[in-house]
Amino acid sequence: MTGSSSTAAATGTLQGGGAPPSAAPSKALRSPWTAVIALAVLAVGLFPVFSDDLYYQNMFILSMVFAIGAVGLNVITGYAGYISLGQGAFIGLGAYAVGICVGDIGGSPWVWVPVAGVLAGAVAALLGVVAMRARGHSFVILTIAFLFLVQLLATNWDSLTNGTGGITLPIPTWSVDYQYWPFYYSLMGLLAVSLVASWWIRRTKFGMGLIAIREDEDKAATVGVSTPTYKILAFVSSAVFVGMAGGVYGYYISFIDPLGMFNILLSVQIILSLLLGGRATLWGPVLGAFIIEWLNETTNNEFGGGNARLLIFGGLLALVVLFLPQGIIPTAQSWIERWRSRGKAGLAGERLTGIDLYKRPAPRAEAPPVTGKPLLEVKGLEKRFGGVQAVDGASFSVPEGSITALIGPNGSGKTTVFNLIGGTMAPQAGEVWFDGRRIDGKPPWQRAHLGLGRTFQITRLFREMTVLENVVAPLRGFHVRLLNTDAVSGREARRAEELLEFVGMRKYRDVRASELSYGQQKLVELAQILMLDPRLIMLDEPAGGINPTLIERIGEMIRELNADGKTFLIVEHNMPFVLGLCNPVIVLARGTAIASGTPDEIQRDAQVLDAYLGEDFRLEEPVKA
Amino acid sequence: MTEFLQALILGLLIGGVYALLASGLTLIFGVMNVINIAHGAFLILAAFITWSIWRETGLDPLAAIIVLTPLMFAFGWLLYNLTVRPIRRAPPAASVLLTFGLALFLEGIMGVIWGNTSHSVRPSYSTESFEIGELFLPKAQVYGGLVAIVVLASLYLVLTRTWLGRAIRASAVNPQGAELVGVNVAAVAALTFAIGVASAGAGGAIASVLYPFLPGSHYQWIARLLGIIVLGGMGSLPGAVIGALCLGVAELMTVTYIGPEWATGVPYVFVFIVLLLRPQGILGTRLREDVATA
Repeated sequence: MTGSSSTAAATGTLQGGGAPPSAAPSKALRSPWTAVIALAVLAVGLFPVFSDDLYYQNMFILSMVFAIGAVGLNVITGYAGYISLGQGAFIGLGAYAVGICVGDIGGSPWVWVPVAGVLAGAVAALLGVVAMRARGHSFVILTIAFLFLVQLLATNWDSLTNGTGGITLPIPTWSVDYQYWPFYYSLMGLLAVSLVASWWIRRTKFGMGLIAIREDEDKAATVGVSTPTYKILAFVSSAVFVGMAGGVYGYYISFIDPLGMFNILLSVQIILSLLLGGRATLWGPVLGAFIIEWLNETTNNEFGGGNARLLIFGGLLALVVLFLPQGIIPTAQSWIERWRSRGKAGLAGERLTGIDLYKRPAPRAEAPPVTGKPLLEVKGLEKRFGGVQAVDGASFSVPEGSITALIGPNGSGKTTVFNLIGGTMAPQAGEVWFDGRRIDGKPPWQRAHLGLGRTFQITRLFREMTVLENVVAPLRGFHVRLLNTDAVSGREARRAEELLEFVGMRKYRDVRASELSYGQQKLVELAQILMLDPRLIMLDEPAGGINPTLIERIGEMIRELNADGKTFLIVEHNMPFVLGLCNPVIVLARGTAIASGTPDEIQRDAQVLDAYLGEDFRLEEPVKA
Repeated sequence: MTEFLQALILGLLIGGVYALLASGLTLIFGVMNVINIAHGAFLILAAFITWSIWRETGLDPLAAIIVLTPLMFAFGWLLYNLTVRPIRRAPPAASVLLTFGLALFLEGIMGVIWGNTSHSVRPSYSTESFEIGELFLPKAQVYGGLVAIVVLASLYLVLTRTWLGRAIRASAVNPQGAELVGVNVAAVAALTFAIGVASAGAGGAIASVLYPFLPGSHYQWIARLLGIIVLGGMGSLPGAVIGALCLGVAELMTVTYIGPEWATGVPYVFVFIVLLLRPQGILGTRLREDVATA
């Protein structure tokens, strides 16, 4: 597994949420797949040339409209994990844009197709702005409301849309000999462009950011992914080509009305195409669309449409969710994968014992001189949850170059303080200063860009990504060009491997994160934030729930990194670990810092003994590391 | 002024019916984190069954609640165990898509059985009104609103005064904790779903008198109910009541002052505004996400 090139290994696994994690099989899969796809494309492309059967031309045209819709939907649903039940609205918007422009301004409908795309993109951006604060179920509800709202507008805004009367488009002017060719090939072109866009998204940092959002949106923000920007761009790219396809579709069926264009069944067919074919795959939505449109036509011909369509599509949607949740392509891939890997033992299950030899990664930049001035300063932080005052005027500072500990009883507000510093939560009052800059008020990704890295008490890796992908996912800044860089570039992969080597997890490079043990996940999470090359590393219970050998090893790593100039802030309950490693130690109780000092001072502080350590506290022996 | 008062009172009465319907939806969401998109279809199904009963026996549609509630309870329990239960542990998106599929399927079945034409239940009092001063209050609206309040009150009593109610609320707040203290969360979820569907049954019987309906009406109903629970705060029962009353009044005001054709848009606007300004809704609380269980 480790033999294949790292880039191929990483992008290969991005093929599907459920795709097998290892690189080699999917690479080998590619050749027969490529042949099948090429043949299918050729067959569809040449069909109108060799056959004048209008029934099938019509069916292929509609299949391509659904396919474009589903490929677009795949960007937000498959990659970014946002389910939309209103995708069909963009087809309707595109059709209306073309219909209204032709009617009010004139010209050929073709001229207005790009306008349809721009309109759809703009509306999608607006939707994205609303969706910045709506996740999961709220977002689904939003998309339903969106679809019905545009339908209502199209029905009631008579002066613009002619209401239920609808808009009739001019009859095509080309010779009947060409049948539906212009529709056919323009849609085929749009589908090709959509697929290229989808492929591009999948293999770049843009797509990786979206997948990180799908896996864990808050975590993605803390490793530097500017989530709102990514989401809005994803919404726009999911709608532009769909809007253009809608324009062509409106011209093709030549009559546009609210009931037909914003029919919820259109959205159902699009989402079914995506689910059936396979979410987060490149070709799944296309495969699904051709199956669904065939089913659509068959239902209309054999059973008279209407209620039969509802029964078939409704029933199929329920059945797919229940019995084929991954979709056809990922399911087929995992079957083939299982068949190929019969009798082979996996890496998972191997144990980390003893302390392997490892070399510390070269620091990315010269370590800034350690001045001892505060790198992080927290002043009067307050956070309430309903009636609970979790943080109550906490003030402390972390000297540059130190390994500072934050200790205190359960519920004293340590993790909340972490969340306030990292930006996953906003304080009700107080200030956070980092490296002379005030950062409360900045979103988490900007704090990450400034050099603040954190781990979570319960590890939060991107579960469907491999270890290597997890480590290269963090972003140290944001600019437009970044979106276009490879998801895993060679240089990054090498750096990531160094870091994995450092934490002793290199062997697990291509294993999916969800397959790792808890302790292994902690190590990978450490490597992950080291990729940010942060100046301050905040660890939330690095020694919690892992075995003593590993604790010792983590302690050693912290020391090594500290020697390279990294500052640490550590929340931990393991007192030998803390007192042997950290200086200064800050004690938090009831949301306030009650003491701060060297380990010795803290152990003798009456207040601390009372609030946390207990009067009989005696440190047996500090961890030697 | 009379016009305003009339709209306000009628809005509150219809809001009572909405409150009953939305409580079932928000209860199901609160306990099992499932947005039941088929809720609208359940209520239209109940309306059709009410219509058939009324047609065949002449039984008053509001009295039919006594039949509809247990019938829909059983239907909901069965449907939960057949379809929703297997995907309990799947990502939340799965349940939305599943119940959406069920809604379409039910719409198709209703179309086959009752046809895709508009139906309405017209008991003898459906054309009569109470006249109080200058106010005209249609009797159907008044009776419907009052019956809804009674059913809702009994639902509230079940939830606050019985062991089952406590188990349901415990499962909603903390499923693992409820499991630890001896609540069979899976069984409670099935009962909750059934109760939710039963309330849609009662609400559907009432709605059949108030509005004409056809199989495709369920989209408008589910949009309305979703608007209510988003406004009130998803999973909050008092929130659903407040949201329902707000929506009822807002719809009637829209009909009176803007135009009836825009009334259906009110819930969509609610959804957009709430999600922009206060995503957790009126009574919803933001949960601490940092202590989420792994």
